Amino acid sequence: MMNVWTLFIPELYCLLMAVVFFGLAMSARPNPRRDYFAALFMAGVGVVVALACVRLEGTLFFEAYRVDLFSQVFKVMLAMGFFLVVCLCTELNGIEERHHPEFYLFLTTCTLAMMMLVSSVELLTIYVALELSSYSLYILVPLRRGHGVDVEAGIKYLMVGACASAVMLFGLSYVFGVTHTTYLVEIIHVLPGVIGTPAAIVGLLLVLCGFFFKLAVFPFHFWAPDVYQGAANQVTAYIATASKVAAVAIIMRVVALSGGSSKYLVDMLVTLSIASMTLGNLVAIVQKDMKRLLAYSSISHAGYVLIGILSMSATGYASAIFYALAYLVMNLCCFLVVVKVSHDGSDLKIAQLAGLHRRAPLLAMALMLAVFGLAGIPPTIGFTGKFLVFAAAMEKGYVALVIIAMINATISLYYYILVVKAAYLMEPDEELPRLPVSIPTKVLTVALVTAMVVFGVAPSYLLEVARAAARMLM
Amino acid sequence: MTVYGAVFYILAGVILIATGLAITRRNLVHSIVYLVISFFGSAMLYYLFGAPLLAALEIIIYAGAIMVLFLFIIMMLRVEPSALRKPTLRQWLPAGVLGLIYVAVAILVVTTDPGSQTILETALARPRVFGRFLFQRYWLSVEIVSFLLLIALVGALYLGKAFVKEGGDQKEDQS
Repeated sequence: MMNVWTLFIPELYCLLMAVVFFGLAMSARPNPRRDYFAALFMAGVGVVVALACVRLEGTLFFEAYRVDLFSQVFKVMLAMGFFLVVCLCTELNGIEERHHPEFYLFLTTCTLAMMMLVSSVELLTIYVALELSSYSLYILVPLRRGHGVDVEAGIKYLMVGACASAVMLFGLSYVFGVTHTTYLVEIIHVLPGVIGTPAAIVGLLLVLCGFFFKLAVFPFHFWAPDVYQGAANQVTAYIATASKVAAVAIIMRVVALSGGSSKYLVDMLVTLSIASMTLGNLVAIVQKDMKRLLAYSSISHAGYVLIGILSMSATGYASAIFYALAYLVMNLCCFLVVVKVSHDGSDLKIAQLAGLHRRAPLLAMALMLAVFGLAGIPPTIGFTGKFLVFAAAMEKGYVALVIIAMINATISLYYYILVVKAAYLMEPDEELPRLPVSIPTKVLTVALVTAMVVFGVAPSYLLEVARAAARMLM
Repeated sequence: MTVYGAVFYILAGVILIATGLAITRRNLVHSIVYLVISFFGSAMLYYLFGAPLLAALEIIIYAGAIMVLFLFIIMMLRVEPSALRKPTLRQWLPAGVLGLIYVAVAILVVTTDPGSQTILETALARPRVFGRFLFQRYWLSVEIVSFLLLIALVGALYLGKAFVKEGGDQKEDQS
């Protein structure tokens, strides 16, 4: 009995955090410093807990829940994403002070839900875990101070999310109807045999739609720009990083169910991947708002990740895991700059970056590296990630897809360079004071930059972990 | 016609009328009351078909919990019966035509399809078995759902508060 609960420790720890924030939310007087340090400390411990549990293995709750290297690696990423987002909350100006405990509470419950999502191997559990994470985000988006855009963004998010949920439930019913079970362990034996039938393939695709919404893949991307812009900067950072990582994990789990033998599924994923990449990159070019630009860039990155997943080989899955991690680090670095530059919590226009190299040289350098990473320029982790994903696709012979992806990467370079140009070459209309960058922020920035470069040049350790995790899926 | 048959047609008729009234009332409270009547009818239908547990759940969950919640929300928000325009012919004609097609097809299916004559095997589950199955095998899902409800409640509280505050601000602006 003891053993069972040891497997569940990262989730239990998250639950404990949620309880603490729930208690803090009850307190009569708002105290942002107390909330911040409580969150920072507990999130930091959370990363340690997740790391300590990385080697655990076993199944729980009538086999509905599997703890293996795959799930634990993603839990570490989620805990890290959560911790880093909390690190950005020193000046949480976008949210009213008395709502800070609620803000941390919903971040925690969302992390908890995603941890359960990456471990669930039963359709019903997957669905409710997904809903829990979505509900937390639905409330986080309109938490922003000042009404107007944020309410619209919140409603849009809720509407698209509810539609995606409905579509997904419809797909789940098909999958259940075809396989007569909700357990992935049994489905993986039955489904490859019947994947040729329309009901199975349609069901699987519809189930995937629910996760495509989370990842903002082409037909379900409408929410991304508005929500990115409408939500508080820190919330956007969370949506753009941790929630994407969880989506990648669960899409891999579901795609792996098909057994890799379905031509239709591959064709469909190729189409969605190309559509996402192209649309995201082309629309990103005309964006003036930094967060909207990052939103469209995230749509295109969803396309790149899909390339790794649709290869449906161990290399492909490993490359997708690596890409998810790379994306987490690069995007967090971008959002670190966004949060610090717009310290009053407002939206950041790209033009506002002008003169950043003089106002805060370290942040400007971090932004440049992160943006080059997103574009896929060596020696950053972004280049390594793209290289691995493309290599996995080439191995399977998807040459045309890789060529289209490369053209897209070139297009994306244009708008990423625009950001760097704003930060380094453009001068502000009026002289702006230097940005105050605190010591902890400096440490965090340097750590992220180091991670981007070091793992870009020497990815072998991370890649080994990713490969070992991907083997769990096969 | 047996007495069960008679009961069935009476119930079916009541459900149809109640649901029809529910979707046509302008006053939200009235339509909810009619919907509750319709749910009670469905519950009795389930009982008639030999599914007492389903009947009980229908009353407890749908007619009881959900509808009472609806009533609470409507009373809390004090939604005035909206002065909506009556839908024009152009608006309801497509819906009417499509609905008629459905009715026609349904009659066709029921009268011609030999499959409609076969009697389906009844699947019986005792409440005890059902409960055990749910709370053992799907224990985790049930727990996550309960947590989900908590989060939804906190969120509703927050959004409700923000809504009220905004309303207050507007009043100050007007004065």
